[in-house]
Amino acid sequence: MDVLNDLMGGFATALTWQNLLFAFIGCLLGTMIGVLPGIGPVAGVALLIPLTLNMDATGSIIMLCAIFYGTTYGGTITSVLLNTPGEAASAVTTFDGYAMTKLGRAGAALTIAAVGSFVGGSIATVGLVAAAKPLGELGLLVGPPEFFALVTVGITLLVALAGRSIVRALISGSLGLLIAMVGIDPVAGAPRFTFGSERLLDGVSFVAVIVGVFGLSEILAYRAGKTPDAIHAPNLRSLLPNRTEWRRSAPAMARGTGIGFGLGLIPGMTGSVSSLLSYGAERKFSRYRSELGHGAVEGVAGPETANNAHANGALIPLFTLGIPASPTIAVLMGAFLQQGLTPGPTLFAENSEIAWAIIASLFIGNVLLIILNVPLVGLWTSILKVPYPILAALILLFMVIGAYTIHFTVFDVFVMIAFGVLGLAMRHLDIPLAPMVLTLVLGPLMERSLRESLEISQGSFEVFYTRPITATLLVIALVIVCSPLLKLRKPKVLANDDPES
Amino acid sequence: MNRRTVTASLTVLGLLAATGCSASNGSTAEGEDYPANGKPVEMIVAFAPGGAVDTAARLVQPVLEEELGTNVEVINAPGAGGQIGYTQIANAAPDGYTIGATGSPSVVVSPLDPSRGASYTREDFQPLARQVVDPAVIAVQPDSPYQSLEELLEAAKENPESMTATTTGQQGGEHFALAQIAETADASFAPVHFSEGASQATTAFLGKHVDVLVANVSDVTDLVAQDKARVLGVMGEERAEALPEVPTFTEEGYEIVSATARGYSAPAGLPEPVAEKLEAALQAAIEDPEVVQKMEDLGLETSYLGAEEYEQFWAQQETDYKEVLPMVQADE
Repeated sequence: MDVLNDLMGGFATALTWQNLLFAFIGCLLGTMIGVLPGIGPVAGVALLIPLTLNMDATGSIIMLCAIFYGTTYGGTITSVLLNTPGEAASAVTTFDGYAMTKLGRAGAALTIAAVGSFVGGSIATVGLVAAAKPLGELGLLVGPPEFFALVTVGITLLVALAGRSIVRALISGSLGLLIAMVGIDPVAGAPRFTFGSERLLDGVSFVAVIVGVFGLSEILAYRAGKTPDAIHAPNLRSLLPNRTEWRRSAPAMARGTGIGFGLGLIPGMTGSVSSLLSYGAERKFSRYRSELGHGAVEGVAGPETANNAHANGALIPLFTLGIPASPTIAVLMGAFLQQGLTPGPTLFAENSEIAWAIIASLFIGNVLLIILNVPLVGLWTSILKVPYPILAALILLFMVIGAYTIHFTVFDVFVMIAFGVLGLAMRHLDIPLAPMVLTLVLGPLMERSLRESLEISQGSFEVFYTRPITATLLVIALVIVCSPLLKLRKPKVLANDDPES
Repeated sequence: MNRRTVTASLTVLGLLAATGCSASNGSTAEGEDYPANGKPVEMIVAFAPGGAVDTAARLVQPVLEEELGTNVEVINAPGAGGQIGYTQIANAAPDGYTIGATGSPSVVVSPLDPSRGASYTREDFQPLARQVVDPAVIAVQPDSPYQSLEELLEAAKENPESMTATTTGQQGGEHFALAQIAETADASFAPVHFSEGASQATTAFLGKHVDVLVANVSDVTDLVAQDKARVLGVMGEERAEALPEVPTFTEEGYEIVSATARGYSAPAGLPEPVAEKLEAALQAAIEDPEVVQKMEDLGLETSYLGAEEYEQFWAQQETDYKEVLPMVQADE
């Protein structure tokens, strides 16, 4: 067992007190930065890179990986407690996480999220150790046509997110696609819907949109004089999930790990795709699917696990092929390069000690994250004891800062406010927000891969049915779209609130 | 938006005029006392942190601080393929406290295409120093039947657009390189635009979804070491240090030079003494042995050019690109 030996060697390097300290500081800093909305893992890691430049290679990479984990988890905290996602990937967590907070289960949601992150991250890292090379090659099988088919499957999960009315879901989904169209055409390079503004050439900032649509509209809805949602600060006993919640989380975590790890292998997929699809899968397959959206623990466990499994899975293309599979990994790769390390297979040949130390530190980072955050759950949830008027003001402050820090321009703050108003309108018209987020994330990926595919085939649609993986995936998408019509496996619980029946 | 930018820059100018007047009472000629004690110099990077442009800027930064005797802050203003950051550089006050990283083709091309609505032209920048040139390369799959550049280009000439080739987006450096090949050698490939950048293009090439990889030297050195790509030609003036066996296009009889180049510029109109100080400091930073070594580790050859030569280089690139621009514009 050479691999095991190498890994043990890696642990020996990573477990020096300095490196442990670096990992600890990284987790802590990352969590704190992640709590600020708008600063997700990408910006968080990028901001803190200069901090690590003067450290030795192993220490700095260990610290950056820890920061990366920390920011990911930090985003979850605000999603659950304040309905304000810190970054794209935790937007989904707001659906059920915040609903759980309203039910007084905020502590349980946060603990489940931490455990889910730990499970997803650790299993994905085991995958990295055990079978990095074949898995990396597997990711390469996914070319633009396969990518397109995969994203199509994702978009069809809109059906699962629809809830009561498919028409309303379609309205919401189309809105998302429309917003995703803004900016420079990814293939032809022509500006679309930019109204002559340079700021819009890059499209509308996704984080500003979700912070507005979810967070701001929540606060605006409160001001509109609706009966305020009572938020219960949980007491000490309800900080930990109860036995039912644990039992229900397990299958969701398993599904989340599978989805996140699988998608993480594919270069170009982002963590938010994984968490969204995991949520969609829960809506479609969970035994308790009718409760989702009203504070079901699966809605937190699945996406949070998927998110972290994705993050660790995405390291496989980096280590085996030298390809940064997601924006965060690209920033991490930049840090590798600044340290004089070239990620890729040569890393194991030339700097194998450092490579294994980094892998060992991924395990350590996961453990530290859970050690650090579970005890802190009590502290975080005590935020909810702040009287609502003060809390709302604080949340507003955070949202404005968060929107501003995306590109350091006030423009994004206005984008956030505009989408807050849109979110309010949608809430009043009873149009679900989830489908919009889904198409907003997947729309650009779908467009890009469709056009790349057609460029490869030089305009022929044959690529979509002559390639076995593509064809299979498209058939699956078709089945999902048709499933409500066929009333396949319609559970009794859902039938009650289904207008079709 | 434009009006706001104008108002903003007018305000800035006004403020500067006001402060400048009071300060210049004591000092002698304009810009003699640059950099003022404790006043930081902002270096605008028009790309996201962690990318090649950003990395280079951050490597130069500490040496630059030493040379100038003041803080240099790297500020990322990413977006719209560099256009956001370039606009900021061009609109900043030409006082030496704002400089920026400028890269071609992005900075050269964006003002050429009116549909992009860029508010700057080449004349709005004062080039200070060029740091690196990263020539374009053309590579095929390791099991490809084409062993030489000539074989590949002849095949592409016989069956135009029969082979797909990667670019990093419409009007990106690779797309221009393909256009130059089509114009000079009459060999055309079907471009597949990977707007997400080089890593997506490389992935598709590695997965054998695209036949030909067009990239920069720094992108392929690692692939060549792993035997995953066969590089047939380099579009540099000379052979690349990292790929000594690969001939240049010129050696093979095709007059094509195409490269991504990166340097540093200020808004046009710097006072003479300020420009001199910045140029000297940048030269020292770019040629610093440690910086050169770190750039080399990244696969990037340092190729310093002073202000005047960088300006000529820039103008030459503009001429080259203008010539093939109609070929890379979207055909509607």
